[in-house]
Amino acid sequence: MLERITLERRADASALRSAATYGVALVVAVALSLGVIIWAGVPTGALFEELIVQVFLTPAGLARTLTQATPMMFAALAAALCLRLKFWNIGIEGQLLMGAILATTVALYDIGGPIRLPLMLAASALGGTLWIAVPALLRLRFGVSEVIVTLLLSNVAFLFLQHLLFGPFGDTSHNFPTSPVFDEMEKLFRFGFGDTHAGLILALSAVLAIAVLVHRTRFGFAARFAGDNPRAADALGFETRRVMLISILLGGAMAGLAGGVIVSGTEHRLTQAVGLNMTFNGIVIAALAGNLPLMIPVVSFFIAGLSVASASLKVFYGVSEGIVLIIQGIILLTLVTFQFAATYRVTIRGPEAA
Amino acid sequence: MIEFLTAWLGSLPGFMTPLLLASLGLLFCERAGVLNLGVEGVMALGAMTGAVVVLAGFGTWIALAAATLAAIAVSIPFMLAVIVFRAPQIPAGLALVAIGLGLSEALGRDAAHKPFSGLQALPWPDALVELPLVGRMLFEQDAIVILALVLAVIAARGLFQTPQGLRLRAVGEDPATADAAGVDVQLYQIVAVVIGSALIGLAGAYLSVGGSQIWTEGMVAGRGWISLALVVFAQWMPIRAILGAILFGGAEALIPRLQALGLEVPVYFLSMTPYLLTIGVLLILSLGTRTAQSEPGFLGRAYIRQDR
Repeated sequence: MLERITLERRADASALRSAATYGVALVVAVALSLGVIIWAGVPTGALFEELIVQVFLTPAGLARTLTQATPMMFAALAAALCLRLKFWNIGIEGQLLMGAILATTVALYDIGGPIRLPLMLAASALGGTLWIAVPALLRLRFGVSEVIVTLLLSNVAFLFLQHLLFGPFGDTSHNFPTSPVFDEMEKLFRFGFGDTHAGLILALSAVLAIAVLVHRTRFGFAARFAGDNPRAADALGFETRRVMLISILLGGAMAGLAGGVIVSGTEHRLTQAVGLNMTFNGIVIAALAGNLPLMIPVVSFFIAGLSVASASLKVFYGVSEGIVLIIQGIILLTLVTFQFAATYRVTIRGPEAA
Repeated sequence: MIEFLTAWLGSLPGFMTPLLLASLGLLFCERAGVLNLGVEGVMALGAMTGAVVVLAGFGTWIALAAATLAAIAVSIPFMLAVIVFRAPQIPAGLALVAIGLGLSEALGRDAAHKPFSGLQALPWPDALVELPLVGRMLFEQDAIVILALVLAVIAARGLFQTPQGLRLRAVGEDPATADAAGVDVQLYQIVAVVIGSALIGLAGAYLSVGGSQIWTEGMVAGRGWISLALVVFAQWMPIRAILGAILFGGAEALIPRLQALGLEVPVYFLSMTPYLLTIGVLLILSLGTRTAQSEPGFLGRAYIRQDR
């Protein structure tokens, strides 16, 4: 089959070719996504209004989009830090949930007095770090595939969350599985613009800090080597394993912080939905951002917009929430498929050569 | 105690079968070098399709067939991406999870939470069914349970005792050599993923049409992910996949039985056991040297002829 087509790996794709590939992939992904939304029953005339005006250009919509983008930036940092090292962190939700759980623990047990809020955030980072430490150590010490372990631990974290919400953390004043609402001192400052809160500033600071770490420090240089070519990094005298471990743990901390800002900034309590779809969100955003930290806020903003739009599409047009998943899947699949054009050179030989 | 064991053993095949079918499907993909992370989404689509078709008034067998076809159809973009366009398999598989879960939610909304009459147990004489301990396990089961076991044997024979099976394994182990020997690498990978997707779709459909006889969102509940681990546990051997499915399914089947006893069990902690068990097993396997040897050598990587 296809005997006349030969593929060659490109030694080094030019920046222009990479950019063009990305651009075309993006256009195709957006076109397919719009197709899905129309198929789901949204009239074409309403697309601009629902997908652009209502989520980015009205104050209420913009506030909702920024609120949703906040934890997404952390989740995407978690994905990007690990993906750069070819460590497939597919358990962002689990790390996020452990972060949310530890932050809630600090809040519910009134730990830390005046520094309770910073302590909650530190606890959330710790929760995420501990939860990723298991797959990181299993992978780096024993060679166990992180793909499966991160996934399975996500499920374990969700079951633990349910245990807490239906048990010790449950709010006894009603029958819904949520924790009691936090005290005022346990909530992040709100700007008075919708639900937007100080977590947004934390997320942007984290993006900047990680960007500096990745692009401007020796550690970041070593981490890039460790991901692309572990042997070369070893030969250069970097402690590859240590660099990898620190980067991965930092990724876990970011995922934990995503949980921390959701409970302390947006929800003000622990619920079953705090981690919903955040693994996909993080990975899709990181992939769209090309794992570049500074691109993450921009992409998070648009993916958050999609998520906000889907909520109103559900109300007004009865569109299933499943379409957000379908669209994210399409975007990811389109991006990785189009990488072909930047990675390989295709030559077609004439019939006589075959 | 006898009663408890009889009931537990009786429910075991129902828990074993979807895990066995899905891990056999994955085994085909992985033996040909394709890591198909999409299994959780494809199972969801199979479960939804099966339920919708039964609710539309078609028979259970047509529903199972439709689910396998839907599973193959949704895997086509994945196959194009990773086999033809050599896309990285892990993100492509994750995208397949998202698409499968999303489609099952979007298309199955009207079918959710509607009980129906699905697969029935084979009509063995009551005397056999009422045997203590093994009666319900052996004689109160539907045909798919038996089909899954037969398929495992066929898969073992097919992979290890036919020239096609040898070629398929060669493609996953060392595609350059297979290519040089005249094996069409891409064709074998496509066939493997088509067979694999069909089995994974059937596994999903068994959850709704066979086991629960109802479809609800999220009913796959991590079984796809467990199947991925089960393939490693089985060391990519179909017959060992039966053992793995019995072990993992047995652990899963224990939870409702303990609850039925009226024991005050920490449900959520018990539900964690299959996952923790899996991680423990992966760790133990990694301590030996066998995993490295049994894993298909080219699993998850893209082959192009230039690399030969």
